[in-house]
Amino acid sequence: MIRYILRRLVLMIPVAFLVTIGVFVLVRVSPGDPALVFAGEERDPAAIAAIREQMGLTQPLPVQYVIWLGHLVQGDLGRSFQTHQRVIEAVTERLPATVELGFAALLISTSVALVVGIVSAIKRNSVIDLLSTSITLAGVSFPSFFLGIVLILLFAYVIPGHIFPPGGYVPLTQNAADNLRRLVLPAITLATASFAVNLRQIRSSLLDVFGHEYMRTARAKGLHERTVIARHALKNALIPVVTLIGIQVGAIIEGAFITEQIFFWPGIGRLAVQAIPSGDYPVVQGVVLVSAFSYMLTTLVVDVLYAWFDPRISYETASA
Amino acid sequence: MRSARYLAAVLGSFAILLAACGQQPAGGGTASPSAGAKATYGGTVTFGLENDVSNLDPMLSGLFVDRNIMYAMYDSLVRVTPKGEIIAWLADKWETSSDGKTVTFTLRKDVKFHDGSVFDADAVKWNIDRYIQTKGSLRTADLGSVDNVQVVDPSTVKFNLKSAFAPLLGALVDRAGMMVSKKVVDAAGADFTLKPFKAGTGPFVLTEAVKNDHYTLEKNPDWWGKDASGNKLPYLDKIIVRPITDADVRLTNLRTGQIEVMNQINGKDVAAVKTDSTLSYQQVGSFSWNSMVPNEASGFIFNDHRLVKAVAMAIDRDEILQRGSANGIGLVGWGPISPAHFAYDASFQPWPKADPEGAKKLIADVGKGPLKFELLVPSGDAGTLQNAQLIQSELAKADITVDLKTQTLNEIVTIQQQHKHLGMTFVGWSGRLDPDGNTYDFVVTGSPNNDSSYSNAQVDTLMKQERAESDPAKRKTILLQAQQIYAVDDPSRVWFGFGVSPLISVKNLTGMESYPDRIPRFQTAQLQK
Repeated sequence: MIRYILRRLVLMIPVAFLVTIGVFVLVRVSPGDPALVFAGEERDPAAIAAIREQMGLTQPLPVQYVIWLGHLVQGDLGRSFQTHQRVIEAVTERLPATVELGFAALLISTSVALVVGIVSAIKRNSVIDLLSTSITLAGVSFPSFFLGIVLILLFAYVIPGHIFPPGGYVPLTQNAADNLRRLVLPAITLATASFAVNLRQIRSSLLDVFGHEYMRTARAKGLHERTVIARHALKNALIPVVTLIGIQVGAIIEGAFITEQIFFWPGIGRLAVQAIPSGDYPVVQGVVLVSAFSYMLTTLVVDVLYAWFDPRISYETASA
Repeated sequence: MRSARYLAAVLGSFAILLAACGQQPAGGGTASPSAGAKATYGGTVTFGLENDVSNLDPMLSGLFVDRNIMYAMYDSLVRVTPKGEIIAWLADKWETSSDGKTVTFTLRKDVKFHDGSVFDADAVKWNIDRYIQTKGSLRTADLGSVDNVQVVDPSTVKFNLKSAFAPLLGALVDRAGMMVSKKVVDAAGADFTLKPFKAGTGPFVLTEAVKNDHYTLEKNPDWWGKDASGNKLPYLDKIIVRPITDADVRLTNLRTGQIEVMNQINGKDVAAVKTDSTLSYQQVGSFSWNSMVPNEASGFIFNDHRLVKAVAMAIDRDEILQRGSANGIGLVGWGPISPAHFAYDASFQPWPKADPEGAKKLIADVGKGPLKFELLVPSGDAGTLQNAQLIQSELAKADITVDLKTQTLNEIVTIQQQHKHLGMTFVGWSGRLDPDGNTYDFVVTGSPNNDSSYSNAQVDTLMKQERAESDPAKRKTILLQAQQIYAVDDPSRVWFGFGVSPLISVKNLTGMESYPDRIPRFQTAQLQK
């Protein structure tokens, strides 16, 4: 297993290299001049030319790429065009907020989907099942930017007491209770779409497993229904769900771009949303790289989890 | 040598003169409590800013939002009142030579930077030299008239100008006149742009800067400002600035007590805010204007300026103001000199009503067939698109076809500056204190903001004259003569309105006023218990 993990980690290097090329090219083909954005309304041509030179934009593109890559392998992501802050510092400053939000969203979407999905599968075609199917449809259909605003307005104007503030962030270490209070609305917003997908997957996986022979055997042995569901059905049904959750980490990072903006949650998504229109190439490149690495690592974790869920899977054989 | 009174009058008002002579509270503004009133000290105010700041170094800042924090942490040589009148600030008084080529500032002697270093004439010289000489500085245009700065004695500094330049004081109100500590700049290096801690002399000290999240400014107990009763300013203990980009979310945060003040609001919300007993709404006319920028370069449709005039005649400015995103909050306009400027002429209304028939006739006279053009509209704001669509429908009444195309502002500005836009762009201006800042660079041949490639020899001559003219009445006449040409007779672009500067706060936050530049001043703010 350890050899497999190491092999996967080494394989990440060429993938990361391709990602760097992709990110670099995509960012630079987007129209607009970062020097002009930096200058704002000030348009002294000499000043703008000097800024462009300081940003390194007067060099040919391949040279710019090699310079950036050279710094990258030394762990230096460069400095923001706008604020001159080190990108690595900007990203690490904001990563805890995004990780917290993403983790909370994943926790909500998975745990609630698990409970509702199991009930829905057991009570197939019941009112609960119908209700959960409707929620699934609504959750998939609601765009997060709309849901976020609706939740903000709901808790600000309709539900009294202002239980959940309409945005903002307080670090967990500073005030845990306030942090959690502020986390609820963005986490629900971010969780909704993946909750719906998880719910649908858990329900259909369980229904599929229910039809297998071993389930009938388990019941015939006289096992309690709870044991049948938990030990025999759920463990088997969860394999595709784990895959799905792995994929959803990517979706959650992507969703955080919008959710963080609505709730002014200071994570890397908000950092990127601010950086993209201003053509702050180093920041956009840094955020995309970090997101890509997070996604690759999650995929690895998911693959390792497979072996736990299904002992028949052996990575030692696969990697031999 | 002319007196400080004279230079102040250059910017158009005797009130400036009174202020410079010390009849204003030393902390500026008029919102401080009346003499004898008890001041309320303490408290923290959270300010909801419309976007995140990009750069807190006055030399490198190019965005409006940056200035919202800068005004609390840095002092400038001079400042303005809510009426846009220039008042003494770090400079106690100033004198200009008879030829207008030298301005001598006498500085306050009781000022220290937040890091403890002394503010004196050497500090002023170092700052201005830094703004002028640093490669990539964004203040070179503001200070383009300054040849050199000379230290006369520790509290006197002389600006030697290349030629007489009336708008200089207006530029020194803002970033070009802001003073930062050399010691902090040297120590912070590249980090100075985002974390210029203890760099200013202003009423508040920047102590924390977390981009995309918040900026903390704490009271400077040693600030020199006093209110009308002689109480030390500022009153507040702390300001927290939170960037909240969505206008609806920002207002919701104000209503639910998460923030106490904001300075930007959607037109649709103004009526509701005005009737909300828990909130206070103030507004004054701003320096900003809205416009459509044609490409008048050779080979493009609007190379024939009569077609620009046809568009200017055909749009219904009142309808744009009333039915557009502003919901009636603002003012219609036909040129760039706003009601907040001393040179404003309320009678300048070349087309009081839309004239689609006149526009049709003009297009027929040009004889190049029906007018059809592409209008580039910045994406990301539904209100901007709504206004562009309204204009599109108005122009259709004059048989002018407009193809709307949305692109990011960054893309549009890039294209526009390269003079490559096919028709017009939908880009405005945040405005400057001196009318020169709202006009010169947009209409003089080859100037940096002349994105329409406009060139008119008569306008060039008049604009150069107004810069050198020190008599405000004569200067106003020249500015208005030029405006008649570049806005009506031979139009350089299509101006259609002016913005307002709103200030929305919770009721118990008092002592703040709306300024034409829209930047909140916190030194006189009080949080009533």
